[in-house]
Amino acid sequence: MTDIRVKDLHHVYPGGVAALQGISLEIRSGEQVGIVGQNGAGKTTLVKHFNGLLQPTRGEVWVDELDTRKVSVAKLAARVGYVFQNPDEQLFCKTVGEEVAFGPRNLGFAPEKAEALCKEALELTEIGDRAGANPYDLSPTWRKMVALASILSMDTPVVIFDEPTTGQDPASVARIARVVAALRAKGKTVITITHDIDFCAENFARVIALSQGRVLLDGPAAEVLGQAETLAQTYVEPPQLTRLGQRLGLKRTILTQEDLLAELGKKQ
Amino acid sequence: MSIVELRNVTYQYPFSERPALEGIDLRIDEGEFVAVIGPNGAGKSSLCYTVSGFIPHFFKGELQGSVVVGGVETRQSTLAECVRRAGLAFQNPFNQISGAKYTVFEEIAFGLENLGVPREEMRARVERMLERAGIADLAGRSPYALSGGQQQRVALASILVMEPQVLVLDEPTSQMDPIGTREVFGMIKELAGRGLTVLMVEHKVEWVAAFADRVVALDGGHVIAQGRPEEVLTDPLLAERNFGLSRYTLAARAALQAGLWPAGRRLPVTLEEAVEGFKAAAA
Amino acid sequence: MPEKLSFYIQRSSAFHSLNPLTKLGLVFAFIVIAYTSPFYWTATVIFGLGVLPLAFVGRVQREFLLAALRLLVPVTGFIFIMQSLFLPGGERELFHFWVFRVTVESVAQAYLTVSRIFVMISAFILFLLTTHPSALMTDLTRRGLPGTFAYVIISTLQIIPQMQSKAQTIIAAQRSRGMETGGSLANRVRALVPLVGPLVFGSLVEVEERAIAIEARGFTSRLKKTSLYEIADTRLDRGLRWFLLGLVVLSVAARVLAG
Ligand SMILES: Nc1ncnc2c1ncn2[C@@H]1O[C@H](COP(=O)(O)OP(=O)(O)OP(=O)(O)O)[C@@H](O)[C@H]1O
Ligand SMILES: Nc1ncnc2c1ncn2[C@@H]1O[C@H](COP(=O)(O)OP(=O)(O)OP(=O)(O)O)[C@@H](O)[C@H]1O
Ligand SMILES: [Mg+2]
Ligand SMILES: [Mg+2]
Repeated sequence: MTDIRVKDLHHVYPGGVAALQGISLEIRSGEQVGIVGQNGAGKTTLVKHFNGLLQPTRGEVWVDELDTRKVSVAKLAARVGYVFQNPDEQLFCKTVGEEVAFGPRNLGFAPEKAEALCKEALELTEIGDRAGANPYDLSPTWRKMVALASILSMDTPVVIFDEPTTGQDPASVARIARVVAALRAKGKTVITITHDIDFCAENFARVIALSQGRVLLDGPAAEVLGQAETLAQTYVEPPQLTRLGQRLGLKRTILTQEDLLAELGKKQ
Repeated sequence: MSIVELRNVTYQYPFSERPALEGIDLRIDEGEFVAVIGPNGAGKSSLCYTVSGFIPHFFKGELQGSVVVGGVETRQSTLAECVRRAGLAFQNPFNQISGAKYTVFEEIAFGLENLGVPREEMRARVERMLERAGIADLAGRSPYALSGGQQQRVALASILVMEPQVLVLDEPTSQMDPIGTREVFGMIKELAGRGLTVLMVEHKVEWVAAFADRVVALDGGHVIAQGRPEEVLTDPLLAERNFGLSRYTLAARAALQAGLWPAGRRLPVTLEEAVEGFKAAAA
Repeated sequence: MPEKLSFYIQRSSAFHSLNPLTKLGLVFAFIVIAYTSPFYWTATVIFGLGVLPLAFVGRVQREFLLAALRLLVPVTGFIFIMQSLFLPGGERELFHFWVFRVTVESVAQAYLTVSRIFVMISAFILFLLTTHPSALMTDLTRRGLPGTFAYVIISTLQIIPQMQSKAQTIIAAQRSRGMETGGSLANRVRALVPLVGPLVFGSLVEVEERAIAIEARGFTSRLKKTSLYEIADTRLDRGLRWFLLGLVVLSVAARVLAG
């Protein structure tokens, strides 16, 4: 059971940029949350507070009973796994295999368990056959998969993805969706920052839209993603099928292809 | 007159087992906006490197065939001359900062300094560029202390400001917010309208369909289809081969099977086409 | 993300606005004089009446003192102790223990060495704090230094801050995967080991990435470069440089005459 509670969070970077300006929200254990919003809205800054990489300038962030201002990042790492937006900032080992094994080793799992977790992570992300490769020799798209696997192997109750689908082809996006589904099935909390609104609509039940360091919208995906005008304030458009549904005059907010066909089928 | 002309180009990276590009024939006319699509590993970035001269000047390995940009064979000129004719914005937005500059403004001016642009003109061009790329408020910031999308805008602006004849953009909107993405497409379309030639790798087919003049589909180092966006993006071959298609196309294909899309009608690639098609089906 | 890749602190001061070459000349003059002057206290005086006050003029005293404390004091302290202990000869014994014999002469010699090193490093710190690498690069290329050569100088100047920021990035990545890097001394030392490999490798990768990035911006173009900012080179600058040259010559001459 891991809940994240954010109370009136402000963050000012050295140099004076006020990236977060009073964010309050709560994410319950097992929730699937998509975070959207304009470039520079503060999405990355927000989630870096969840594992203590950044400290509040004002306000507080709690992960269950842990006050992120008081415990170390290393300690929080057992609860919250964060896949960086830029894989180059995350990867530092000589081989993919070492990279994936690094986290579990630090968390003090029994060797058999650690091994099983690594194997599962490599399988889910389909990089098992590249375990001996140096991450730097892989293409940026595969590096992203390595970054993902190295967090999955830590088996944390909360997993955060920062722009996981950028540059990925459909097969790869489907793979990421499978990872999200697998985590959901295990009851884990998944928080995903994404500009890929279609992906967001298809995979996340709750959506939070940030704008200029504040929460603009927060609620069920169908509620948030239908509000074209408000979303436009933070440079987000409703998903393709939602727009299509609106243009066709459908009452329900369409999020997936199934939604669309069901609604159209009803009409006929 | 083609400004870019690739004839039977094959390229293989050093130490790799198979060619990244194989027998590519591609001509691009002046002022054309060509989008390149394809799955991961198709050779999209390699094509970008080839047109902008990084292959063969920076990446060694074997380049066969001829690559002519602006009437000059890339092999015959220096890399600096190549990038002047065909400027490249790289796929990875995070490592394009020169490291020699203190502010975003200086960073964008860096390329112009290297081209010897006079100071007054340089200032004016950088200011205009900052405005157009939506980063005027970042002018005084350190190019390192930016969000992902902001870094990508700086990287794009740094190349655009140099005004090359051909713009080669490798997934230039991968970190950008949705409306920002559409604006960038709009801006590039406008530049193409003024005679600039654009070769742009993109996964976001909705905007490719709406803005590009021509789509080139690349797979396994080969061009497997090219033509008008609505033709290429509805080609059944693409669906079989792991190409990204718009949700409109996918939904209409499923609807066709369910009898909810008019039989015989071309699948839609844009919102407008989808709306028309579904309305026709309902009527 | 690292915030910057240089030690430079952007502030407006009379010292900042000197031409980069003048500041570089100043550094070299201080060093040459400290090493050649026949007078024992020269280096001390240069530091006390030259480098240190200039740090205040340049409004970087805080950063300057901090860097001096972190970098210089350990280095020079170590050298001072070693030289005091190991320099042979000397008549007047201060004290001795075990196999060591510390004399007035060895301490005096150790102090001289240390005061010179102090001037050398602190003058460089002052220079780096108040001069932007790109301003130096622009100024040097304008004076006819080949671009690639200037770039090598700049990259060298940036190695340490670049390594620092890379190290911070790696540490953040390691901590977020459960590695304790803070706390006890033992922990901190243990954390250094897995840092070295990635740091060296990562820095090499970065060098290559930067090379390709600046190529894309026409850096190796043979056109005559221009610069965004005019880098002032005033009469004061030119006068100062001649004056410094004069001092250096005097100092060298004094040394030669003194034998
Ligand atoms: N290291 C830093 N130092 C100073 N300011 C920063 C730093 N990182 C980010 N910022 C600024 O903080 C604000 C929020 O940045 P953040 O990275 O959280 O945005 P984001 O929502 O993740 O955007 P994107 O979609 O572009 O990744 C931006 O204005 C950005 O310029
Ligand atoms: N530096 C390199 N050395 C060796 N092989 C490489 C190198 N860069 C790319 N390749 C290989 O060349 C092929 C084409 O790669 P390229 O990067 O051009 O694909 P891409 O279409 O841009 O893929 P992505 O969507 O992942 O960016 C791939 O098989 C890749 O593994
Ligand atoms: Mg971000
Ligand atoms: Mg690519």
